[in-house]
Amino acid sequence: MKRTFLFVVLFLASCGPSGRPAVGPSQRIVSLLPSFTEILFAIGAGDRLVGRTTWCDYPPAALDIPSVGDGMPPNVEAVAARQPDLVVLYNSGPNVTAAKQLERIGIRTVLLDLNRLEDLGPATRTLGRLTGLEERADSLANAMDSLLHQPPPPSTTSLAFIVWDNPPITIGRGSYLHQLAALAGARNVFDDVAAPSAQVSLETIAARNPQWIAVLADSAVTPAFAKRREWRAVRAVREGHFLLLPGSLFGRPGPRSAEAVRELRVRLERTASR
Amino acid sequence: MKWTLLGFVAVLALIGSVVLGPAAVPLAELLRSDIVWNLRAPRALLAFLVGGSLGVAGAGLQALVRNPLADPFLLGLSGGAGLGAVLAIALHLPGPWALPLAAFVGALAALGLVYRMGLIGGAGGALDPRILLLGGVAVGAFAAAITTAIVSLADAAELRNAFLWLWGGLSAASWDSVLLVALYAPIPLAVLFAASRPLDLLALGEEPAGYLGADVNAVKRRVYLAASLLTAAAVAVSGVIGFVGLVVPHIARLTWGHRHRALLPAAFIGGGALLAIADTLARTVVAPRELPVGVVTALIGVPMFALLLRRWTIA
Repeated sequence: MKRTFLFVVLFLASCGPSGRPAVGPSQRIVSLLPSFTEILFAIGAGDRLVGRTTWCDYPPAALDIPSVGDGMPPNVEAVAARQPDLVVLYNSGPNVTAAKQLERIGIRTVLLDLNRLEDLGPATRTLGRLTGLEERADSLANAMDSLLHQPPPPSTTSLAFIVWDNPPITIGRGSYLHQLAALAGARNVFDDVAAPSAQVSLETIAARNPQWIAVLADSAVTPAFAKRREWRAVRAVREGHFLLLPGSLFGRPGPRSAEAVRELRVRLERTASR
Repeated sequence: MKWTLLGFVAVLALIGSVVLGPAAVPLAELLRSDIVWNLRAPRALLAFLVGGSLGVAGAGLQALVRNPLADPFLLGLSGGAGLGAVLAIALHLPGPWALPLAAFVGALAALGLVYRMGLIGGAGGALDPRILLLGGVAVGAFAAAITTAIVSLADAAELRNAFLWLWGGLSAASWDSVLLVALYAPIPLAVLFAASRPLDLLALGEEPAGYLGADVNAVKRRVYLAASLLTAAAVAVSGVIGFVGLVVPHIARLTWGHRHRALLPAAFIGGGALLAIADTLARTVVAPRELPVGVVTALIGVPMFALLLRRWTIA
């Protein structure tokens, strides 16, 4: 009788959160941000991924991993159905709620900031620790940090990122894209805006007269607003000086950030000599 | 005196919105500046036309449904326009005018639906104002539900930006849109102005208005259609700009009384001036950033309204 009681107590204890098995390197990971997917592949944990978002399209091998939806907000049941032992989420309001729900059913989660270049190193090291791949994570993190620590080249040209045209939303100093442009030698004409993005008036864009209008676009087609009369008050629009940047490479901080900087620099130089 | 003051404020508002802006343009170059000529001037005029249209549409609808809470967007038009705009983005409709055109068509669809519902309520071509209100809210809610479903199911991240557009703003102002509104708006405006006298009678109640010689059913139909067509054009060029159509008619009524012959022109000039001032503030106070203009119309309009209301109730 006594033994049965003890057994029941032990059994119950092992079910509770305190009774979770000792935490080892994660073997079944769900990544809910394309950047995390890229980092996990880059540190050699790609084969442990069992779930990704619909946006995770790089490296190509990521497409073979089952998708759990667009992750905005995460579909908790679809994530849980992959039976992960670690879910990596971007640190945002809806994701905090989702992480709590996952923790409640015994799935380990980690919420990471990934807004700017300086977030890449810490995020990568954390992922390295959680997967037991500290060494590779460290060298990747160092490589990415060096991008951050190199002095930006003198800017030879200027641009404005247009995220949306009506109302015009542009990228400010707080954004990763601003950092990319600076490293590629282009001055963001809205560097006085501290926020990552902001609504601005068209006349400010026209008055600041950027040499380039940069747009995140997956097609090589000039955006429709280029044909609108009010936008033609902006010289770069009138002259067709658009930089159409594929979102997969330019839209996310990650292991390919250095490549994005190089690519942007090449495009700026190629078109400057034209 | 009241008219002189109103006219003075309106002219000042228009001059202010052309002279003031986030970009520094020296006064001497004002008339030659591309920014002033191609961006500020059309934007100021569009603000005035849209604000005036919303003011008149609001005054007309408040008289029609005899409800002080009526607002040009209450009758489902914003929901319909939003659905149109989101569909334009989701379906990648091409062309620079796709979005405003789709919003206009969406607003017209909502208008038609609500109008049809309003006719069911009354017998023999009579619009039932209560059904119009309920139908408007229902159609608006239904369109908003479909809009949200599309936004949450579609992959395009840019769909979320459709809501930004919907919250209203005059950044898409150009001479094209000014010309469009300037050609379009006078027709429904004239219809509403012509209905001034019957609208006065309608305030007495539908039956007494009928005894006094108003063709109540025809007036209600005309006012509803004209006010809605005006609003549909406003939403197509500038999204949903709140408070102008709600607050301006009340302010005009508190100052000019209930006679629509004076009330409607006052609501037009007052609404135009308010939106021109609000947009100038939206462009300049947080420059280089810009505030959504609906925020500014609420921040100016509501205290002004409260002040007048207080003066009115004390007097």
